[in-house]
Amino acid sequence: MSLAAPLLRQAQRTPSWLLIGTLVPSVLVAVPLFYVAVRSFEAGLTGIASEIFRERTFDLLVNTLTLAACVTTAAAAIGTAFAWCVERTDLPMRRAWRVLASLPLAVPAFVASFAWSSFHAGFESMAGAIFILSLASYPLVYLPVAAALRSMEPAFEDVSRSLGKGRWETFFRVILPQAGPALGAGALLVLTHMFAEFGALSLLRVQTFTTAIFASYELQFDSATAALQAAVLVLLCLPAAYGEMRLRRKIGVARVGRGSARRMAPVRLGRWRLPVFLCFCLSFALSLGVPLLILVYWLTVGFSAGRGHSDILPAIGGSLSLAVPGAFVVVLLALSPVLLSVRHEGPLSRAADRLPYIVHGLPGLVVALALVFVSIHYLRAFYQTVGLLMAAYAILFLPQAQSALRASIELVPARLEEAARSLGRRPLAAFMSVTVPNILPGIGAALALIALELMRELTSTLMLAPIGVATLATEVWTHTNDGEYAAAAPFAALLVAVSALPVYFFTRRSIGIEDIQ
Amino acid sequence: MSEIVRRRFLQGGAAVGAAFLFPAPFVRSAGAEDVRTLILYNGQHRQTTDAVVQAFAEATGILIAARNGSSAQLANQMIEEGDASPADVFYAEESSPIAALSERGLLAKLDDGILRQVPARYAAKDGSWISVSARCRVVAYNKSMISESDMPASVLDFASDAWKDKVAIVPTSGAFQQQIVAVEQLHGRDKALAWLKGLKENGRVYNTNNAAMQAVEDGDIATALINNYYWFSVAREIGTENMRSALHYIGHRDAGALVTVSAAAVLKSGRKQALAQQFVAYMMSEEGQKVIAASMAEYPLRRGIKSPYALKPFEELDPPDIAPDDLGDGSAALALEREAGLA
Repeated sequence: MSLAAPLLRQAQRTPSWLLIGTLVPSVLVAVPLFYVAVRSFEAGLTGIASEIFRERTFDLLVNTLTLAACVTTAAAAIGTAFAWCVERTDLPMRRAWRVLASLPLAVPAFVASFAWSSFHAGFESMAGAIFILSLASYPLVYLPVAAALRSMEPAFEDVSRSLGKGRWETFFRVILPQAGPALGAGALLVLTHMFAEFGALSLLRVQTFTTAIFASYELQFDSATAALQAAVLVLLCLPAAYGEMRLRRKIGVARVGRGSARRMAPVRLGRWRLPVFLCFCLSFALSLGVPLLILVYWLTVGFSAGRGHSDILPAIGGSLSLAVPGAFVVVLLALSPVLLSVRHEGPLSRAADRLPYIVHGLPGLVVALALVFVSIHYLRAFYQTVGLLMAAYAILFLPQAQSALRASIELVPARLEEAARSLGRRPLAAFMSVTVPNILPGIGAALALIALELMRELTSTLMLAPIGVATLATEVWTHTNDGEYAAAAPFAALLVAVSALPVYFFTRRSIGIEDIQ
Repeated sequence: MSEIVRRRFLQGGAAVGAAFLFPAPFVRSAGAEDVRTLILYNGQHRQTTDAVVQAFAEATGILIAARNGSSAQLANQMIEEGDASPADVFYAEESSPIAALSERGLLAKLDDGILRQVPARYAAKDGSWISVSARCRVVAYNKSMISESDMPASVLDFASDAWKDKVAIVPTSGAFQQQIVAVEQLHGRDKALAWLKGLKENGRVYNTNNAAMQAVEDGDIATALINNYYWFSVAREIGTENMRSALHYIGHRDAGALVTVSAAAVLKSGRKQALAQQFVAYMMSEEGQKVIAASMAEYPLRRGIKSPYALKPFEELDPPDIAPDDLGDGSAALALEREAGLA
């Protein structure tokens, strides 16, 4: 049996490689903040005031918050319910559902929203957007919560039940608090994702700060308005990131080793078994079936079918050549802040760990322009190199990598590394030989997730990739932009197919399916 | 994919691969610095650009590497880049992004020989850019929801209560913005503002032109204020005979019949001025204009070239007397949109 106890945090000296490793992503993330601040202040104080206190800003605020709050709540509810059903009940085919439930991640939101909006115009509304985006983003909650449920200490639940508490009370007072950090981290990702969502909303007639930022850059040149709108988005992310940090701090649960977890008897669903099973089938059909059907429909009706087939291989090559090295760079950069915040807790390490989440609410366009600005002015030789694009990827996707890494890093006790140190290893060597092998599953999961996100990234790839490089995502954009939906279909389908691989891998890694086989 | 683009891709791919094999991923790929390779920032529909780039390469042997994106985003990028921009030529879907670059002094003057290829009104007054092809503002309507005889005489009428929930607008589109400038120049600021307020009240806002066009085709809304080519791109995709929507040309020198253009320019900061001028000259040559006209449903602007598409003859459009250069970079329109609560 494993032992769950608050981690003993010792006041030990932080190794310098960890500090430097944390400084790099912090500096990167500060770049768009710097850019937004510089551009905002160009508007002058009166300009800022007149921009912020407009009816339009208020409308955008209401829309952005409504969308983000509703999608986050719905995704959290669906994700948690699915995770519990898959991990703790006698749901039919639960082993298959473990992977299937996360597959909607492979469908880019703009493909889903195109599918639904061409199905019925009623989906081109706030309610429709909430529906589509909730279905597309619940896996971001489902995955960490399912992983948390699997690694949870069953003894707590036994104690609760033995004290005469019912199933519901046990769920809400014992299970949910333990899953809290995982749920909170997933929900924060969804929330900030919604702040930055553009592709899906451009088809759905919903205006948020991010669609307004894109519009400002469409209608205006060297725009202070767009910068101010981006500043508002950053301000919206602050309380969310702070709240999640508080949630994490209240519950510090860790255990030593993975233990020989006793298998729990699954909860019998009884007469609910079939309805719950049908719910799973329905959500699968809605989130994956409908978008794929629409791709098939495009292929069969459009005259542009077949156009650009010779671009397919280069586009796959382009996607992989950027996404795979990109994933390594992003995950490498994400390691230090997570390690620092887990091992050497303090206000500074917590801030460094949370900083990327604040910027995660910014659209890719702002991040890309910030990097153009900074590299042109201060690092001209870097401009339009793969290196700069990797920096953009890091700024955009660090939080996802951090979330994927955190669970496995929290499970490795610092004492293992201390034992290696006491045997004479240098800090870095001790880390490499003891900690790294233990967190490999987390690293694998993070690599898969980031590769997935990078493959569908569009805006900063268009602006910053070395000239002439095309990816699956840029090809889909080109063809749909010209109304050639049939020509876009194979690229979109390939994007889903190529994304399904990392999703599958990520799911296996992060839920730890190998355990039960 | 053309041979040149393929070669460029392979070079790019090799550079990317090599960059990761060696511990120096931050060097600029050498291919882009090639003296014989022009760098094009392209905001025009890609099939058009691909066609003209390929024809140019076949005619001259000069290679072109293109960065694709939306015209306005590319213009914003070039403004951030300033003197350090790697771009030699900018080919924009609309004239306002290119006018914005011109106002900031980032464009070189085009050779007189190039400027003479089109009627004077289609070139910038300072000679810094040239219109490549033209299209017309139109009303797309769903044939089963409304008949063409019920169309108003002026685009201004769409702001009235009679059109409540019957007209789709795209306030974030550059062409709609140019239409606002036209209304302002023809009728004055107050009327333009009242028009926009009416449209905000009665019209339905869409986020992209394609979405608005699709909504009319699907019967979700009766009409949309768009450019003519959006209808042709749907028609090309599903077949003209299957179209449930049609185009109404307002004419009568009304702002609703405004002619807008795609445009090209040479960047002042480019290091290959002569080659860049040569490429723009090719775009405006008889050969180049034929290639461009064949690739999309727009009016070629060089005298004597006809579009192979079934477009309404250019002479019958009867547009208002507003030249592309008069439309500027659209900042006046944005102020109006903001006042009306549309932006």
